[in-house]
Amino acid sequence: MFKWYGWVNFSPYTKVSRFANYLRGGYIMGSKCKKCGIKTFPPRADCPECMSSDFEYVEYTGKGTVHTYTKIVAAPTGFQDVAPYIVGLVDLEEGGRLVAWFGESIKEEDIKIGMPVQAVPRIFEATPDIKVYLSLEKPGASWKKMPIQDIE
Amino acid sequence: MDLGLKGKNAIVTGGSLGIGTSIAIELGRQGCNVAINYRKHDTEAKEVVKKIEEMGCKALAVKADVSIFKDAQNMVKAVIEKFGGLQILICNAGINWDGPIWSMSEEQWDKVINVNLKGYFNYNKAAAIVFKEQRYGKIINISSINGLRGKFAQTNYSASKGGEIALSKALAKELGRFNVNVNVVAPGMVKTDMAANIPPEFLNKAIDETVLGRIASPEDVANLVVFLCSDKARHITGEVIKIDGGQYI
Amino acid sequence: MTRVGVIGIGHGKFDRRSDATVQELAFEAFRYAMEDAKITKKELQASIVGSVPEYHKQRSLSGVIQEYLGLNPLPVWLTECACASSSAALRTAWMSIKAGLYDVVAVIGCQKMTELSTPEILALMGRVGEVQWESIYGTTFPGYYAMFAKRHMHEFGTTREQMLKVSVKNHFYGAKNPKAMFQKEITLEKALASEIVASPFCLYDCCANADGAAALILASEEKAKKLSDTPIWIDGAGCATTSMSVLRRPNLYGLPSAVEAGKQAYKMAKVEPKDIKVADVHDCFSIAEIMAYEDLGFCEKGKGGKFIEDKQSYIGGKHPVNIDGGLKAKGHPIGATGASQATEIVKQLRGEAKDRQVPDADIGLTHNVGGIGQYTFVHIFRRD
Repeated sequence: MFKWYGWVNFSPYTKVSRFANYLRGGYIMGSKCKKCGIKTFPPRADCPECMSSDFEYVEYTGKGTVHTYTKIVAAPTGFQDVAPYIVGLVDLEEGGRLVAWFGESIKEEDIKIGMPVQAVPRIFEATPDIKVYLSLEKPGASWKKMPIQDIE
Repeated sequence: MDLGLKGKNAIVTGGSLGIGTSIAIELGRQGCNVAINYRKHDTEAKEVVKKIEEMGCKALAVKADVSIFKDAQNMVKAVIEKFGGLQILICNAGINWDGPIWSMSEEQWDKVINVNLKGYFNYNKAAAIVFKEQRYGKIINISSINGLRGKFAQTNYSASKGGEIALSKALAKELGRFNVNVNVVAPGMVKTDMAANIPPEFLNKAIDETVLGRIASPEDVANLVVFLCSDKARHITGEVIKIDGGQYI
Repeated sequence: MTRVGVIGIGHGKFDRRSDATVQELAFEAFRYAMEDAKITKKELQASIVGSVPEYHKQRSLSGVIQEYLGLNPLPVWLTECACASSSAALRTAWMSIKAGLYDVVAVIGCQKMTELSTPEILALMGRVGEVQWESIYGTTFPGYYAMFAKRHMHEFGTTREQMLKVSVKNHFYGAKNPKAMFQKEITLEKALASEIVASPFCLYDCCANADGAAALILASEEKAKKLSDTPIWIDGAGCATTSMSVLRRPNLYGLPSAVEAGKQAYKMAKVEPKDIKVADVHDCFSIAEIMAYEDLGFCEKGKGGKFIEDKQSYIGGKHPVNIDGGLKAKGHPIGATGASQATEIVKQLRGEAKDRQVPDADIGLTHNVGGIGQYTFVHIFRRD
């Protein structure tokens, strides 16, 4: 259910919906084109190189370095309750980038471009409905995963 | 069917007697490591541990009052240390102290609420924190049909049993996203020590209430509980299953 | 292929225009342009409207504007490229004349941004990036450029003061532009003390939403020479995209689309960056103007901060930039900005800019970026 992904989700329907199911189970998934083999993060069903739509999910470690970041104070609708928050753009170790929020293990004054971080799959706890997201923590942060065969 | 419970780790509160013992032993038979909590029956508790160890599983008995918040948190920690993890919590420890309200003392009320309802909160909370972190868990809270209906001279007991049901439903909503099931088993009369103190004519009355013409054995309840602990029941959560021979339909 | 010339320009007041609908705003600018071109509607053959539809209650904007302007049954359609919508309209009109399909075409850039409620506007602000993977974390328009700024500061040592000096310059010139939303100068101290919007940006690093319209009349070479004394020729037109998503941008301290669009325009107009006498660039945020100096070749990569510090983008400097106040002082009615930039450069090249006139301006450039950099349109204008 892709609509689980993010504090406010805008894309309930996508060919890569299972990304959110995997994230809830503790897996950070990118995609790999079965035809030409290139890996992409975030995942996409349609290969940008060879245009095949035959893809499979591949797990990423979530390790990366901070490319840039900003602390957003003036928040858009739906985000006022969680503002301010610090958005980070991370270059992933295995290629690709992700956008996520800095988590509690990293203090604002310690954030530097180029610092290593670990993206951690998280489940929001304070809302009645299921929401999942990624948070950026210090390298070495760990988490438990559901057995992969139990993921829808 | 193979319930797939081998190697799982469980806590059963009130495990030295009655339903609790049955549940603990059946879990052991299914291959689980089981820790029981008990209040005063040392010998019986040791017996349960022995039986489970004979089945090839690890077992542990912890003497503690379930109504004490800190003891619950500590027991969960200790079990995880000894067994290496925790996947199943059965809250079963409970007392009754009957009397119509006009003669019920404040102490009568407080004690039953604290052991039954607060006790379940204490253990559910400790386990919930572990289960949500590991994205897996099964919580079964043993209630009673007297939590679904009112029973004469049991304003305190019915309140606590009804409370356990509502607690479990709310908790199911909180923990579902983390892949944790929370269910309630609500027995009618069961052939245990609690029931042994009931005069025969009331016992017969209970049998008459059932449509099956019998009251449950502790093993009947254990069989249901153990099924709910397994992943075969993975789609059941926030549910209350009566096991009362049709005593209250 | 024929040259394309601008024979008429018109610019309405940019402001919170709670006094007019979008078609009424378009009419203001259109009438100025028609009067300036000294033509009647009979000469027109088509119009192109540049606007961002999602800010309006009116659906299918170009139809209602065409009717209000009294231009039925002439063809019209909308072009949308976020903040570069009316540059897209300009390019479309230019293309249609180059192709020989039309001789005289009106370009209307218009926008209302204040028709929506504040929560609706704030919701739109959160959806500028790639909605599927980024907006779910509450990224905003200032947030993206703030991330570019942080990267630029990291790579080249650009400072907050240098960025805010851009805003100071643009307010200095905006105070001389009666069509601008903000007509007061600001000081660097005041700017530095304002509240943070998205670190490192504060209020004065950011342009403001506004309502407004601007229009141009374009003509083929033959018609332009007949109808106008000083046609200003659009001799260079470049257009390029880069990935919308910052997850796939090659670098975040410049806009690859601007570099490419600039190269195309320079090549077509057969000029080099050093030939540009006056320019209007897309300063939606202070860092955007600094990156524009670099992307357009006005200075070396990374030296944009020094460029503004040395006042090289003021009149008298190497390349005067945003002498009409830029987006910062004019306000940014997103669909109208491209047309507004074009009218300013045409004015400068005609010598009609009065106390904002850049001396001997004969070649000018507009640089209009859409959204967070996914589209850039560069046009180069020449007075013979």
